[in-house]
Amino acid sequence: MPGIFTFSEDSALAKQLLTPALELKKSLDQPITALALSETDAKELATLGADKAVFLQSADKWVDGFAEAIYAQVSKAVGSIVLIGGTLRGKTVAAYVAAKLNAGMTTDAKTLKIDSGKLLATRVLYAGLALCDEEVALPAVATIRARTFLAPAAATTTGTVETVTVSGESRITVGEVTPTGTAGVNINAASKLVSVGRGFRKKEDLKLAEDLAAALKAELACTRGVAEDEHWLPIERYIGISGQTVKPDLYLAVGLSGQVQHMVGCRESKVIVAINNDERAPIFEAADYGIVGDLYEVLPLLTAALGK
Amino acid sequence: MPKCLVCYKWTLDEQDIKIRPEDLSLDSSRAKGKISDFDRNAIEEAALLVEKNGGAVDALTYGTATVKQSLKDCLSRGPEKVYWISDASAENADANVTANVLAAAIRKLGQYDLILCGEGSSDQFNQQTTSRIAALLGLPCVTFASKLSVEGDTVKATRKLEDCQEDVVVKGSVVISVLSEINKPRIPSMKQVLGASKKPNEEIKIADLGLKPEDLQPKAVRKSVKGFVMQRKNVIYKETNAADNVAKLKVSLASEGLI
Amino acid sequence: MNFELTEEQQLIGQSARDFGKEYLEPIAVELDQKGEFPKKVVQALAKHDFLGLLLPDDVGGAAAGFVSYVEVIEDLSRYSAAVASIVNNHTIAAYSIQEWGTADQKKQYLPAMAKGELLGGFAIFEHGPTPGVGADALVATKQDVGYVLNGKKAFVRNAGEAGVYVVFATTDPALGAKALTAFLVKADAIGVKVGEKLETMGLKGCPVADITFENVVLPQAALLGAVNGGAAISAKALAVASVAEAAQTVGIGQAAVEHAAAYAKQRVQFGKPVATLQAIQTLLAEVATDCHLARLGLRNAALLIEEGKPFEVEAAMIKSFLVRFGSKMLLDTCQVEGGFGYSETMPLPRLFRDIAGTNLLDAPGDFPEKLIAASIA
Repeated sequence: MPGIFTFSEDSALAKQLLTPALELKKSLDQPITALALSETDAKELATLGADKAVFLQSADKWVDGFAEAIYAQVSKAVGSIVLIGGTLRGKTVAAYVAAKLNAGMTTDAKTLKIDSGKLLATRVLYAGLALCDEEVALPAVATIRARTFLAPAAATTTGTVETVTVSGESRITVGEVTPTGTAGVNINAASKLVSVGRGFRKKEDLKLAEDLAAALKAELACTRGVAEDEHWLPIERYIGISGQTVKPDLYLAVGLSGQVQHMVGCRESKVIVAINNDERAPIFEAADYGIVGDLYEVLPLLTAALGK
Repeated sequence: MPKCLVCYKWTLDEQDIKIRPEDLSLDSSRAKGKISDFDRNAIEEAALLVEKNGGAVDALTYGTATVKQSLKDCLSRGPEKVYWISDASAENADANVTANVLAAAIRKLGQYDLILCGEGSSDQFNQQTTSRIAALLGLPCVTFASKLSVEGDTVKATRKLEDCQEDVVVKGSVVISVLSEINKPRIPSMKQVLGASKKPNEEIKIADLGLKPEDLQPKAVRKSVKGFVMQRKNVIYKETNAADNVAKLKVSLASEGLI
Repeated sequence: MNFELTEEQQLIGQSARDFGKEYLEPIAVELDQKGEFPKKVVQALAKHDFLGLLLPDDVGGAAAGFVSYVEVIEDLSRYSAAVASIVNNHTIAAYSIQEWGTADQKKQYLPAMAKGELLGGFAIFEHGPTPGVGADALVATKQDVGYVLNGKKAFVRNAGEAGVYVVFATTDPALGAKALTAFLVKADAIGVKVGEKLETMGLKGCPVADITFENVVLPQAALLGAVNGGAAISAKALAVASVAEAAQTVGIGQAAVEHAAAYAKQRVQFGKPVATLQAIQTLLAEVATDCHLARLGLRNAALLIEEGKPFEVEAAMIKSFLVRFGSKMLLDTCQVEGGFGYSETMPLPRLFRDIAGTNLLDAPGDFPEKLIAASIA
């Protein structure tokens, strides 16, 4: 019996996937099978709407190595839709599964629904310049990024949970894994962000932004140039097409020009404020409020005004 | 040094694409072509590996008729030879079709041990091609590499993922995608540009790849494309006195319930 | 006929623009303010083969052709016309050696010039009425084995940084310009004294100074071309240089019109962007048109040079056009940008000062219109 499959190695994201899955279930009337990499996750997903949760057990814990096992589960059941959490590992696995299924795949879908027997998704094109509707024939694979959907409420019934032993990818030897990210930095969870660009002349000058962020109770974020070229801030704080996507209540952009590749990562913020000394900078078109001025002058004044 | 192949896509430069205000449709009539940004990193990485370890790198591309404009650009960046497939099917090809074509071409060309791609194309950014090619060829796959090195027939890579850096080692053939931070693509020197015409290019006809017609039919079809236009309040304070601007902004922030 | 650049020429232009964005844009303002010779940038130029563009590959040049060359100069000029000036003056010196030098001279100087290890300068002008005439005229007195130079050259670009100068001296003060002769003079030759750097209006960073020659002894082998053949050499070299200089003008104009257009789209007055106002549209349209036509004319002249065909009239036409319309491009774009654009924190004031330096007539006696008229009447 064909079915809707979900998978994410990220527990929170795995739960969020059930929300679109439940919507698709209404249209397709097919059961939802949630694939998980821990028994805890499987049990929880079974209470949130999965008709069946499968714990893929393997001696080898490398997430990317589960691609073949996931494909095996999906093809055995003749799956029709596979929703995979759009982490970097998830995308790697999803494309593998799509290839083995000879299926189409839509990456980072923002919305999903069934239309005329096909999966209709919307996604971003041209580094954020455009949005497109993409129609994928079934079976279809889709990746969904974290926080695109909220996790569903507890279901009225609990699904079954089973364990399947699988083997991983033997040809790749995984060596040292170094966690990154400073403790407590969760750019995505911040409700307010002060984002810095290369209008700042040197690393020490970021103190002005830090002071402002403190006054606002905001976190610090940045552009790709500040993180990748200048290395003034870690890459986890970089907002943009190949960095983080955030949706805070306030996105305060200081000394950054507002190019499309950056704005695509923050343009769903509730309020965008820009401070830049170039009146013609694109950021002003994307801002709700802004100040044309020298950040070296404006920031201390703003920090002081907020402190009162 | 393993025999290295780098795959690249000739895309439209999204900076030249305009949004028509009447209906938000896209106008790409003035858009120039470019080698997709992340593919440039892949080409550069391959060139750097060859500079360090010897050997040579070939390039492979699949596109419409415009793909021929990419050949000298590619060859000016390090590869010794470029294989190209020009076919109308590329116009609407999805990742499934692209991977089918590239995998078939790689199979036809023979043993490449190291196949490099960018992490995604700058136009669609599907981020699927690498994994798909690996799956179709039955090869291991390493995605999102921020560092690469070669020792004999062993490839070592560092992957940069959201929450960690992961070191992996692969012996034998492998398909790898690279991140933009892995290197800075060269600005081709004058001699590198002019030297490109002396390097060979070879067309591979799609009919010779042994594909079925359905392999060239996209499974993911773009139905409509609309420019994304920001609708924001655009209240910009431009007084000569910075303190005045700050005072006004403070009032605005308060009115939005942010402070 | 094809108006488009070839693929190579387009790729060369793209490399030049990428180079301009990466290496020139970050330093352009400081270069203009401090006027310090940008050594690191010149090294980077050399690394990308921009300093041997016209030289053949047997001396290590890129042999790119003149059309590619003007494309590079235009693209570099969009970011820093001062740096483009350094390249131009170096290249004209190298070109002169390539065209008129002996096999030994080419071997002696060109490989190092192609690599950017040796920079070139071109010393033709003098303070007197014409080169070879007047109290300070540079005179080359014949000796048993070679010549001795005495006199002064004016407004030598790359002065003080160049390692070799192409120098024009008269062998007979009585004959003046008719006896003009070209020499290759090493910067470290005894008696070569580079004067104080001039504070120029623009193109700052490309050094300009007078050079005094006090009993500079030159061997016979320093002679470039034939004795008394200097007038013909300088005329041709300056004609070629004028086309390269036109590329600077067009590059500066292009940068100005792009900046002004972006400004006009953003600047709101009377409730609308000023780009919607007819007066502004007219200004932008004229500048864009002049730039476009000048570019086509300059490419035409460049192609004639590349193909070894007569080009002097076409070169004169472009020179004439840009003397009349070059600075106007900046006058007009400054009008578009108004008060905001008048500030030295904006680029137009620098571009204004730079473009004026590319429209100067080298030889008022042989002004371009004279040549053009002579070709048709």
